Amino acid sequence: MFKRFTQTRPFATLGIVIAAWLVLPVALKTFLRAGFFEFTAPLTVAASHLRDLQEYWALRLHRNRELIEAGRDLARVNGFYEYTVQQNNVLQAEIGTLEKALGLPALPGFRFEAARVAQRDLSGWWQRLVIRKGRNYGIPLGAPVIFTGGIVGRVSEVYATTAVVELVSSPNFRLAALIDGDTRPLSYQGGINRPFAPARGAIEFVPLDITAAASAPRRLVSSGLGGVFPAGLTVGQVTMVEPSADGLFKTGEVALDPRLSELTEVTVLVPLGGK
Amino acid sequence: MRRVLVLFLTLLLLWAGVAQVNDLLAPAHVSVFAGGLFVAYAALFLPLGEGLPASLLAGAVCDAHAPVRFGTLVLLFAAAHVLLFAWRDRLPHDQPAGRLGLVLLANLALFLALSGLAAGPLPAHAGRWPRLAADLAASELFVALVSAWFFALQEQALALLPPDPERMF
Repeated sequence: MFKRFTQTRPFATLGIVIAAWLVLPVALKTFLRAGFFEFTAPLTVAASHLRDLQEYWALRLHRNRELIEAGRDLARVNGFYEYTVQQNNVLQAEIGTLEKALGLPALPGFRFEAARVAQRDLSGWWQRLVIRKGRNYGIPLGAPVIFTGGIVGRVSEVYATTAVVELVSSPNFRLAALIDGDTRPLSYQGGINRPFAPARGAIEFVPLDITAAASAPRRLVSSGLGGVFPAGLTVGQVTMVEPSADGLFKTGEVALDPRLSELTEVTVLVPLGGK
Repeated sequence: MRRVLVLFLTLLLLWAGVAQVNDLLAPAHVSVFAGGLFVAYAALFLPLGEGLPASLLAGAVCDAHAPVRFGTLVLLFAAAHVLLFAWRDRLPHDQPAGRLGLVLLANLALFLALSGLAAGPLPAHAGRWPRLAADLAASELFVALVSAWFFALQEQALALLPPDPERMF
């Protein structure tokens, strides 16, 4: 009798654990999840700071001549950007004038919050980044995240000093997009993550007259419809479209920016006005 | 209680190490999963009352960083722990090769279970399976490489504690 009890004790314990977990209130589970994340956040952030320090000391090894050349190149790029900023200001003023004249609602504005990437977790199941800014910098849930190559993803979890970004390559990521130069929206979804190759996404509901190939790719941009992303941000390059099974639309594949998996810094677009 | 905490600290170290390895591997588009290592030592060598709480805590840490329903990895780790614990007398866990085989088997089972649970509600892409196969191969290789070191670390960490009077008699 005692032997039988000893044999079944582990399974009885497992049953109790499962039953306890099932009856645990959702609020408590949410609290526990946040608690365990916050508990490990200092480890994540400390490791990220150590990497930054390592990078800093590696950069200190560069010769002065290399630094002077890099400074000269940066000055050229800054000159070009200053000119672009001036052009942008003129265009913004023109948009403001037109909005007033036509009585249109103002376009949503954003505050740009640059954040360092603390951790990258790009698996076959999900694709996420942890960034080193959270509630302490007013990062809201669902905020768009971008980099120089276009869309990075959206903020999916916010904690005290960190936030989690779901990447555009993640299988759970969906977005209403447009082929650049076309006005008809289509559906984008991430998730084609082959090993040892840059991530790709899939598009659905592509109009039949749209064509694209690897030799003649088409730029895919955010539509600004039904979501948090402003219009015109690059999602990727459509490299293939083919008729779907129902024959009403086409489906295709989107090549995402290869730099997505190497990001060290991103920009969070924080909506102005607390929206 | 102290033994559970020390064991949990070693598991936390493993979690941090795996997270750093995945960060480094991200540009290569491959990742590692070491679920089997989180439960193996505690299940094969410790009493249920000491090992299971440590495995549950490790599962909760992994769960907090995964976009799955909170508790998925806790329950998967608990199930793997209990199965290994219940069968450990019949399994060759005293030899290094046998121990390694058991860790790899546990890791494989946990990887497949998580793949089923994480990929279940998502639409299937043909590109997913080669990636999962590559991740699985990398995970098994990683576990094979670090399991001996990690078992020794856990053993040494527990040996640092003063002997428990209750366990001496």
